[in-house]
Amino acid sequence: MSNVVLEKVSRKFGEFVAVSDVDLRVAEGEFVTLLGPSGCGKTTTLRMVAGLEQNTSGRISLGNEVVSDAASGVFVPSERRRLGMVFQSYAIWPHMTVFENVAYPLRVRRRPAAEIRDLVSNALRLVEMERFAERPAPALSGGQQQRVAIARALVFEPKVLLLDEPLSNLDAKLRLQMGDEFRAIQRRLGMTTLYVTHDQSEAMALSDRVVVMDQGRIQQVGAPEDIYRYPANRTVAGFFGNPNLLNASVEACARLEGGRVQLDVVGQGWQGRCEAAAEVPPGQTVTVMVRPEDIRIAPAATDKDGLRWSGRIAHTIFRGPTRSIVVEIENGHLNVDAPAFGGYAVGDNVTVVVPQHAAWAVG
Amino acid sequence: MTLSADDRVADIAPARTRLPHARRFLNGAPAGRVVGLTLLALILAFLSVYPLSMLLYGSLHSTPPGVAGVFTLDGYREIASQQNLLTLLNTVGIALAKTIPSLILAVLLAWILARTDTPFRGTLEVLVTLPFFIPPILTAMAWGMLGNPQVGLLNQLYQGITGSTASPINVYSYGGVIWHMMQYSVPFLFLLIVDAFRAMDPSLEEAARMCGATRLRTFCTVTLQLMLPALTGAAILSFIRGIENFESPLFFGSPAGIHVITTDIYDSINQRSPPQYQYATAISFVIMALMFLIILMQWRILRGRSFQTVTGKGYSPGVMKLGKWRWATFAFCALFFAVTVVLPVSQLLIGSFFKFFGFYEWDMLTLEHYQAVAGSSEFWRAFGNTMLLGFIGASLTMLLGGIVAYVSVRTRWRGRRLIDTMAWLPWMMPGIVLGVGFLWGFALLPHAIPIYGTIWALLLAYISLGTPLSVRVMSSAYGQLSYDLEECSRVHGAGWLQTMWRIMIALVWPSFAVGWVLIFFGIMRELSASVLLYSVGSEVLSVVLLKLWANGSAEQVSVIGLIMMAMVIVFRWVQLRVIKRWIGAL
Repeated sequence: MSNVVLEKVSRKFGEFVAVSDVDLRVAEGEFVTLLGPSGCGKTTTLRMVAGLEQNTSGRISLGNEVVSDAASGVFVPSERRRLGMVFQSYAIWPHMTVFENVAYPLRVRRRPAAEIRDLVSNALRLVEMERFAERPAPALSGGQQQRVAIARALVFEPKVLLLDEPLSNLDAKLRLQMGDEFRAIQRRLGMTTLYVTHDQSEAMALSDRVVVMDQGRIQQVGAPEDIYRYPANRTVAGFFGNPNLLNASVEACARLEGGRVQLDVVGQGWQGRCEAAAEVPPGQTVTVMVRPEDIRIAPAATDKDGLRWSGRIAHTIFRGPTRSIVVEIENGHLNVDAPAFGGYAVGDNVTVVVPQHAAWAVG
Repeated sequence: MTLSADDRVADIAPARTRLPHARRFLNGAPAGRVVGLTLLALILAFLSVYPLSMLLYGSLHSTPPGVAGVFTLDGYREIASQQNLLTLLNTVGIALAKTIPSLILAVLLAWILARTDTPFRGTLEVLVTLPFFIPPILTAMAWGMLGNPQVGLLNQLYQGITGSTASPINVYSYGGVIWHMMQYSVPFLFLLIVDAFRAMDPSLEEAARMCGATRLRTFCTVTLQLMLPALTGAAILSFIRGIENFESPLFFGSPAGIHVITTDIYDSINQRSPPQYQYATAISFVIMALMFLIILMQWRILRGRSFQTVTGKGYSPGVMKLGKWRWATFAFCALFFAVTVVLPVSQLLIGSFFKFFGFYEWDMLTLEHYQAVAGSSEFWRAFGNTMLLGFIGASLTMLLGGIVAYVSVRTRWRGRRLIDTMAWLPWMMPGIVLGVGFLWGFALLPHAIPIYGTIWALLLAYISLGTPLSVRVMSSAYGQLSYDLEECSRVHGAGWLQTMWRIMIALVWPSFAVGWVLIFFGIMRELSASVLLYSVGSEVLSVVLLKLWANGSAEQVSVIGLIMMAMVIVFRWVQLRVIKRWIGAL
């Protein structure tokens, strides 16, 4: 059963189309992340699910209930959608204590005082904030406000949890820690979660599935590994990490087991074999994506499959776990992530190779 | 800008991070700076401590200024009467009675103009705040004509429509005093609170909606609660303004026998023979004690209760779609403007063209009042004086405020607290009290310094009255500038003076301009101190208006009122158009 369903959902602001024909099904208990650069429509999509924006066309359902349908004029206001939401600014009310903040959704629902006390302390225990219950909200640090915001979003057992860039105001270390905590809590409660971020590493670490958006449209939906390894197009490829993107033209095409295809491609001064999602007619140009960590610097040519280049090391940057090496090749350069202490020197002539399965061609 | 400018709340200077290198200057301050600071302290002392101590001296001295006498406590003994208890109750009661409805109206207007999709909100905002800039003496006179129980235009209209002979409206009453004060305090409160409505982080409200609260519940439990500190602060300020108010009780209270402290001070000097200076100064201390108590209370209530709800994110707050009700809210704002501006201005317009006030017949139309005003040397002298005082006064006040604010906000110089406090002192003194203080002060100066009875007496009083405001405007301007800007300029080789000129002044001068216009408006509408300190030759427009009004020349009052009104509109236009554009360009 799908818990959140978006069907052909669009949002226009005047002439500007912020979100265009988004189709998405989020399964019960699934953690789905909307990922994209700022202005790509991900936050607008989330806010339409929340009912804070109204979609100009399409239909949104939660569980079995249609909450917004532009065609038939159905629009259930936010307060009746039973959703928990964590805002980028946390939106912790400064005039209330931590307890009052978390108790608010229950008080709105007129639950008995004893029940409120129990539920709130449970929720605060979940985020390890029970010691701070009587603190006034302005006396909290960013990470603590974040936890209170989560407790408040979870306390009334919402159908779906919505998170709008909840980690972007935290420092790097806390961001990792809070991200892991989110994921742990979400797994424990089996809560359907829709998460918005512009940070690709956050998206990969947390999600069951990632929805990559750009210019109001969904570019690709899939598990983090698939999107990282097999991006659907150049935009998605460029969005994850810092890959090498090389233009090439297709010479031959053959089907592989498992639905993918194998391409023989020729670039300027190099040629070899890579993989792609669908067949490409010979003669057409493609972009070959090669990730820096998949490139090996080889002393001699051994690998028959895959791609190879020869070039010269232009410069190297020590990064701790790895060393980034820029290899100058004919008509360009390649970024290579090599072992940190591999003994490479600027000016060395080297051959670099990439196995066939690590080279991915997109249209 | 007016928000921070009029805000006495933030006057308790918070501990700021100071320039680290400024600490060096503490040890062995250069002689030039010592001289400069001493001079600054002396100027401020003359503008605030001197009139204050003269008030104390006068309240203990049995004779008028400059006449030999003895020290007695008679002044204070006289105060303790039953009549004065009523005066005190009137003062506090009227201030309270006008604050509460004004606050409700201001919240309503702020909500309509900041948080709904009412049409023409931008224009409406300019219009409903206009009464704040109109000198109260103008609207007082216009309403004196409109709501006159015998010949008032509103009563004539009522009688014409209903055919009855009753006069339902009488502005010479408690209601009239309160109504007139409200016309000023609604826009005043609006300007103070509208930014709080506008700048609130919308996610605070959205979070409540997501938690299941309805719009109404969200407004009551979140929006309003978050506004509460701002509303309380604004209400207390408005209450203080009500206690200081002079024009409304003078015009509508005194004729009906309703006295408040400010009019009592005025009457005891101007309406009694011989003038009772000792009584006036003693009662001035009473009103200052009252103000001091309120300010203390304000500090207590507001300490640590200001919520930072503004985020850096450029969200626009949630605007409520009102549907067809938006025309109702539009009509409400338009009505407020019509009643507070259009009605009085029309009265002035009508009054200026008819031969006699109250008799509106076609054959009574005339231009003779315009000719009379144009030919009146007194008017032109007063016009020149007002302009001169406005330009010089606003410039000097802002300059002084800029220096004081710089010393107190951006340096760690020894004595900066003293300077800040002295500049703040006049905040506690209503115009009439400061007027009394200066009256004594100037009279007791040696004859070699002939300030008393000259235009410079008014100038000094205006500077004193305006300094707290100018310090506030400039402090907030400096406060927004990061120290890096100043330090960066120094590191890159600019001297202190060059840094001031190229960086500081270049960055704060829009605030300077805004403050300048505010002070200019303040001087143009000042009446209570002027009426005590003017003498023949140094009248200003507000005093001439009052004299004409007292002589019964309501027709010429209308003409001069219209001229002043035109000046207000021109200056407000300049402020909105030109200065806002400069600021926008920065």
